[in-house]
Amino acid sequence: MSRYVIKRLLYMIPVLLGVAFLVFTILSLTPGDPGTIILGITADPEDIAALNAEFGYDQPFLIRFFNYIKDIVLHFDLGNSYQSRQPVIDDIMARFPNTLTLAVLSMAVSSIIGISLGIFSAVRQYSVADHICVVVALVFASIPGFWLGLMLLLLFSLRLGWLPSFGASSLKHFILPTLTVSMTSAAGLLRLTRSAMLETIRQEYIRTAKAKGASGRRIIWKHALRNALLPVVTTLGTSFGASLGGAIIAETVFAMPGMGTLITTAIRQKDIPMVMGATLFLAVLFSLVILVVDILYAFIDPRIRVKYQNGGKKRG
Amino acid sequence: MKKALALLMTACTCLSLGLTAFADSTDAVLVPNEAELTTSAEGKTDLVIAVDADVDTLHPSDFSTTVEMDVLNQIYDTLMYMNPDGTHDPEPRIAESYEISEDGLDYTFHLRDDVTFHDGTPLTSADVKYSLEMYMDSAYQGSQVTGLSSVETPDDYTVVCHLESPYSPFLLGVCSVHIASAAYAESSPDTFATEPVGSGPYKFVSRSNGSNIVLEAYDGYYRGEAAIKQITFEVIPDSATMAIALQTGEINFATIEPSVLPQLQANPDITVAEVASSGFTYVSMNLEKEPFDDVLVRQAINYAIDRDNIVSVCYEGEAEVNSNMCAKSRFGYSEDQPQYTYDPEKAQELLAEAGIETPYDLGTILVAEQYSNLATVIQNDLRNVGLEVTIETQEFNAYISNLTSGNYDITALEMTLEGDTQMLEMAYTTDYIGTANNARYSDEEMDSLFDQTRTEEDSEAREALFDQILTKAQEEAVYAVLCNPLTLFAYNSDLNCPEIPFEGLYSVYDFSWGEA
Amino acid sequence: MAREKEKRNSQAAEIWRRFRKNRTAVIGLVILILIVGMALFADLIVPYSKCIEQVGADRLQGPSLEHFFGTDELGRDLFARVVHGSRYSLFIGVATSLMALVIGAILGASAGYFGGMVDNIICRIVDIFLCVPPILLSLAVVAALGSNMQNLIIAITVSCIPGNVRLIRSVVLTVAEQEYVEAAKSYGTSNARIIFRYVLPNAMGPIIVNTTMAISDMILSAAGLSFIGMGIQPPSPEWGALLSNAQTYLFSAPYMLVFPGIFIVLSSLAFNLVGDGLTDALDPKLKD
Repeated sequence: MSRYVIKRLLYMIPVLLGVAFLVFTILSLTPGDPGTIILGITADPEDIAALNAEFGYDQPFLIRFFNYIKDIVLHFDLGNSYQSRQPVIDDIMARFPNTLTLAVLSMAVSSIIGISLGIFSAVRQYSVADHICVVVALVFASIPGFWLGLMLLLLFSLRLGWLPSFGASSLKHFILPTLTVSMTSAAGLLRLTRSAMLETIRQEYIRTAKAKGASGRRIIWKHALRNALLPVVTTLGTSFGASLGGAIIAETVFAMPGMGTLITTAIRQKDIPMVMGATLFLAVLFSLVILVVDILYAFIDPRIRVKYQNGGKKRG
Repeated sequence: MKKALALLMTACTCLSLGLTAFADSTDAVLVPNEAELTTSAEGKTDLVIAVDADVDTLHPSDFSTTVEMDVLNQIYDTLMYMNPDGTHDPEPRIAESYEISEDGLDYTFHLRDDVTFHDGTPLTSADVKYSLEMYMDSAYQGSQVTGLSSVETPDDYTVVCHLESPYSPFLLGVCSVHIASAAYAESSPDTFATEPVGSGPYKFVSRSNGSNIVLEAYDGYYRGEAAIKQITFEVIPDSATMAIALQTGEINFATIEPSVLPQLQANPDITVAEVASSGFTYVSMNLEKEPFDDVLVRQAINYAIDRDNIVSVCYEGEAEVNSNMCAKSRFGYSEDQPQYTYDPEKAQELLAEAGIETPYDLGTILVAEQYSNLATVIQNDLRNVGLEVTIETQEFNAYISNLTSGNYDITALEMTLEGDTQMLEMAYTTDYIGTANNARYSDEEMDSLFDQTRTEEDSEAREALFDQILTKAQEEAVYAVLCNPLTLFAYNSDLNCPEIPFEGLYSVYDFSWGEA
Repeated sequence: MAREKEKRNSQAAEIWRRFRKNRTAVIGLVILILIVGMALFADLIVPYSKCIEQVGADRLQGPSLEHFFGTDELGRDLFARVVHGSRYSLFIGVATSLMALVIGAILGASAGYFGGMVDNIICRIVDIFLCVPPILLSLAVVAALGSNMQNLIIAITVSCIPGNVRLIRSVVLTVAEQEYVEAAKSYGTSNARIIFRYVLPNAMGPIIVNTTMAISDMILSAAGLSFIGMGIQPPSPEWGALLSNAQTYLFSAPYMLVFPGIFIVLSSLAFNLVGDGLTDALDPKLKD
């Protein structure tokens, strides 16, 4: 198992290098230079050129990329922001906890809603309740996130005055953003859980258990659920990714200082070190989550564990 | 089938009911939550201000955004205070008085002796000299001390600025320099830009990246401690969210977008202040490209645009129609300078005279994303006189690089040439092609007129020169200037705000809570 | 040949029979047909000129007989904009999903079918793209290329490809192990022919479902990009642009948020319902 984990961790290196190269390339294609963006168009062109030189922005693309990677590898240094001249890691560390909290809370809430309603729907397939669950979940999945966020703001902040409208200073501030993200993403999990449950319920062994006279509830909880949750667990990784994406929109609506607003602002300002640092940070996080999910999966499903012990190769 | 249909119908009705509930309930929504807002102003000493972007730095001279300036203005004091419309006399601040030598080359400032920095150290001429020199070296705010060649400090409370040649706008510029502590800059270079120490009414307490900045009244301020004891600047980028936070009372003071104005005006607990600024909205045509090199075409475009309509649809009426680049309250403006008004027939005549057969394809109107509505209205006006343009929007910074390099046909944007009327030279002189002279206009006579204004000390003679410049600019229709947008401030009605000066450079020191 | 066609017909009929049993899916299909009809016949419903015509005096008027959905901040008829907006929104949704499908199918099928080195390279590239949140990737692409319809489609497609590649690869993996593929291989049939003739058609079920639902996601992505200010060129009336434009007027003109909102939700919901119905209809295992 540990060999497998180490292998996976090593394998993150080329992926992260690839992410760095991809983002760096796209950013370099963006018109404009940091000097003009910071000093404005009324500034002296010489000052602008001097500032660009200070950032090393006058160097060719590949050299800049190489220097960037070199600083990370040799000095663990993500560089300084073009805009603030402060280490980008400070900004990232100030905002990362908010985004992580929001993404984890949202994933938790959407999993609870999605999985429980999914089971409920499957057990009562084709009942009115089943239809309501599925349709309501799909309606929420069809609402643009920013629009839902705005409506929640109008209702809970402005009209009822129950919840704060912006910021991230307490857990209370996370309620509306979490609702926004999780309500739009619960449908996927509901659908998946429902179909996985339906599939397992129809399997032979469930029928056998039924035939043996085991009670309906017992069958659901003991046999069907465990097997049905397997495919659901595998998608938790991607659903975490979706939560991160949703968090970006929610952060903007609820003026929450997070990674999403950090990156979107930095992309506009062509603050390359900031975008790179923050994106790599998210990429590492995402890769680790996927790894954890895979390990979790191995624990739940013994068949996979055997596979890992054989060095990850498929058994012939 | 029926059951499911009924179900779906219910779902849809619920959805639309929910929506219309919001729609219908706006009157109800209008009424702010009593519990939140009745928090009496009595005994209230803190103020929450919303800003639309985080600050990148709190460096006294190396800053670039309005938000940074608004925060820094509370922390740092200046030598004198001058309303930037150029029509008021300077008020004493750190300097009690000043003199200008006969030849206009030496500005002498006499400092108060009771000014201290937030760390308790006294402010002396050495700090002023240090700050002025820091501005001279600054790529960001260096233009504030244009003309300054050296600074002398005959004693602890006297500062003499030497200029190379007389430059009359110098006083206004030097009055906006933030005076920083030389000792602090040397002892703590690492925190100089992040934990500022000034001599202004408020001292820096804390900053949470992307979220807020907290300031606290400085008890040793020489004009007496401020009435508002604590200021929190909260970052709220989305204008709709900001409007909601104002109404819930979470925010007390903010600069707002015109689109949320009607709602806030209708709310008795919120006061809206409209402040004039020298910022202007204009159409720039690339004079290096046909047909914009033809003055008749440029005049036609000036006549074709309905400025009143633009002010009403793009600014909710919160802008002053003005086809002159010089704001009406600013030095140099005169009613006698030509103004362009909406006259589509005249535009068509001018086009015919220029030999343009309509419909004529003018090319692309390139705008930054935030000006897409403006471009859409202009496109409509131009189409009405037979000129076709296609709109292309770009992300702001990408747009700016195309704008300055002349890689566009026609464009529309807002611009502020802060400070003195002198700054208008950036829009009209050959030296600034590639920076702020977006029309790429080059004319020897215009260049020489601006050269003369720089050294002319006599106010009347300067005014005459600017009159010549602006008349020429209008006659040649170098740009199609549309209006001067007002800066809008919305605040809790219990907050006493004296009139906010030109350009909206407010000072929280002047605010207080109480019955208005 | 004729028999094969007949067999296909009966297969389609069987799918339709199963699809029809799912009532919500049928309703979704009806909504979808109505919206697609609206897009196709937009010019007959209301001329395009109505949605760019600006009457400053009539701005921000609530719904009335003259303007069914009211007017926007420039005095344009919102009904005309919503009707014609369907063309832009549906086009973006369908074009991006199809492009992502084609590219995803080529890459995913090659990876799944050939395995080994090809699989390795494709999977690693996909992993790289998967690590960047899709909306940020789209944002960066639009910032780099500029925001017009074509670039918007590229940006959204790029962010959607990795998921497609993964899905198609896994589906192809299961199909490729089937006996008939092995058989075709042993007859010496060319790889391309096997992929397109046998593998992909048999993997079609999940792919169709995924694409249908992807259209809904893509419409929402485009709206999200409009919200961050990277949408389509004005004066084109894409729904997301209408909606994000309306949000600053949410107090003075809430109907501007309501109507485009209803249409985005309805069309996105319709694609989701149909996709959901197809899942059951195309999956023989779920037959009851």
